[in-house]
Amino acid sequence: MTNTANVTNAAPKKRRRAASLDRRKARAGWVFVLPFVLGFVIIYLPIIFNSIRLSFFELESMPGGALAETFVGFANYNEALFVNPDFVSTLIAGLGRLAFDIPAIVIFSLFMAVLLNQKMVGRAAFRAIFFIPVILSTGIMASIDQGNILASYGEEGVSGGQSHSASSQIVSMLDVEVLFDQMKVGREIVGYVIGIVNSIYDIVNRSGVQMLIFLAGLQSISPAIYESCQIEGASAWETFWKITLPMISPMILVNAIYTVIDSFTAGSNTVMRFIEQEYSTKQGVISTAMAWMYFILVILIVAVVALILGRFVFYQRRD
Amino acid sequence: MDNSIKVTKETKNKIRVEFERTPLKERLKAKFGTSYFYLNVLWYAFRLVLLIGISYVVLYPFISKIASSFMSQSDFVDSTVRLIPKNFTLDIYKAIFVELNYMEAFVNTFLLSIISALIQTFACLLIAYGFAKFKFKGNGILFILVMLTMIVPHQTLKLSMLLHFKNFDIFGIMGGLSKLGILPASFADGIKLTNTFWPLVILSAGGIAFKNGLYIFMLRQFFRGVPDELEESAYVDGSGVYRTFLQIIIPLSIPMMITVFLFAFSWQWTDNFYTVLFFPGREVRLWPHLTFQIPPSLKTDYAGASLLNTAIYNTCGMMIIAPLIVMYLFCQKFLVQGIERSGIVG
Repeated sequence: MTNTANVTNAAPKKRRRAASLDRRKARAGWVFVLPFVLGFVIIYLPIIFNSIRLSFFELESMPGGALAETFVGFANYNEALFVNPDFVSTLIAGLGRLAFDIPAIVIFSLFMAVLLNQKMVGRAAFRAIFFIPVILSTGIMASIDQGNILASYGEEGVSGGQSHSASSQIVSMLDVEVLFDQMKVGREIVGYVIGIVNSIYDIVNRSGVQMLIFLAGLQSISPAIYESCQIEGASAWETFWKITLPMISPMILVNAIYTVIDSFTAGSNTVMRFIEQEYSTKQGVISTAMAWMYFILVILIVAVVALILGRFVFYQRRD
Repeated sequence: MDNSIKVTKETKNKIRVEFERTPLKERLKAKFGTSYFYLNVLWYAFRLVLLIGISYVVLYPFISKIASSFMSQSDFVDSTVRLIPKNFTLDIYKAIFVELNYMEAFVNTFLLSIISALIQTFACLLIAYGFAKFKFKGNGILFILVMLTMIVPHQTLKLSMLLHFKNFDIFGIMGGLSKLGILPASFADGIKLTNTFWPLVILSAGGIAFKNGLYIFMLRQFFRGVPDELEESAYVDGSGVYRTFLQIIIPLSIPMMITVFLFAFSWQWTDNFYTVLFFPGREVRLWPHLTFQIPPSLKTDYAGASLLNTAIYNTCGMMIIAPLIVMYLFCQKFLVQGIERSGIVG
């Protein structure tokens, strides 16, 4: 910009051409993003405003399929927060679950990405298997799997598909506790690790995209850095903590935020399912109010996560 | 040691070195007897076990679902049958194929997925290119809005989205025009778009359909990696912005487009949010109309009925994703490479 300004003072003739090229490019930019602008203004904004508006109304089905709206102010929010017995507790439980999930998914996907990035026999096959959930375990399949979990309560399903019933947990708390008791690491950590191991299916299923993002990040780290480390005599362990982790830290931020959003908006989320249930049983307005409160919470949590992790992110200066 | 090495000069440029080779036993010991070697072997074994174990976790549900889909009714009450069916049968497949009208749903979903995935790919390509390569006022704010469309949970918008497309209208313009007599009177309350492909087509064209924010983000990062000099040289040669896009940028980004297309296609294929929302009727048969249905001929009330029902649901799910699995086998390279090439790192 300053460049053009200098040119303008020196040669007024050139000025118009430079400015018009800039303007032409700006216009072209608008043309390219036009689909989104149109879609956002024509479709998305009215939907969002209507949704916010509806959360302050009461809907009633009229004969003939029309809906009658009556303004009720904050009554829906009031009912969701103070009258409905389950909403707040579901919300808190959902948040607790999230605090458990985010570190588990991020750490697991980083670990797997580091493994899959190494040279070994059958790497392509392993990669193919690990990314199956990204494509296949969404939408319909997720809902069928949930049906299975419900069905397999109380019975050890032959066809249940997953080992979710209590009897088939991979690790029992007692076994590991004895082991860890001697190591004196504290009950909370033990419980956390066991929780991860037992929900490994869930975690693997949900960390596909994160693994892809980490893998892309790992491959963008210059091999020259590793080479010089090797020459200086750093061990693999040191290299990971001193090189890989700082270099990948922007991806950790991206993945943490993606995980928050993904697990908040996934259909398997308990709060989502609760809201869905409310939607199908009542006229759907209270569920809209709930969903908006939930959304504000999501935004807050994304902001908090970004703030906390943002302090640890290391950006390599590029020149 | 030093004494045993004998160096003799043969010619001007050639020397001959004679020395006693270390015995084989010691050489082997040096190679395989060190802690370094053992640690490496241990690490390889650990890694292999871990990878195979997690692959098993990923694959087991599919294996068990496929296995149970071939079981006959007596196998479900037989406790000795675990993964391998005793009485092999194709009853469940036949019933789903014929009685639940599998092919009709397949064709409909295929059309819907192809159409919306193609539109999404092109729309996101345009939008992402605009964001990546052009500086204009509002670029940053608009991109934040793109991210916003990704963050807002669908459930929040469910009701109003349904209402919007039930009485589709653009700011009441169509209703107004029909009142003025320009458009037919049936447009007065907007057009009813439910049970058609239109809602998804419109959402796709605007780049605000399912996970489109992610595609736009991926493509934008990819375009940022494309050197500006490429376009600048095209401009210098007299090609306009749009011609450059068509003739240089699109051919360049075909691998990325395939990646995005695959994502869009397969997520639309298994989607059960928009399809349930926009196709409440049974006129257009899609996957959600097949799931959690039990074919009439398989309805029983014997002891293993709940297991049989689960098996039927699972079989249905497997039949739904079977085409995707085939596609994945051929195209998984594009998925991984596409993300790697996009260099999300920036």
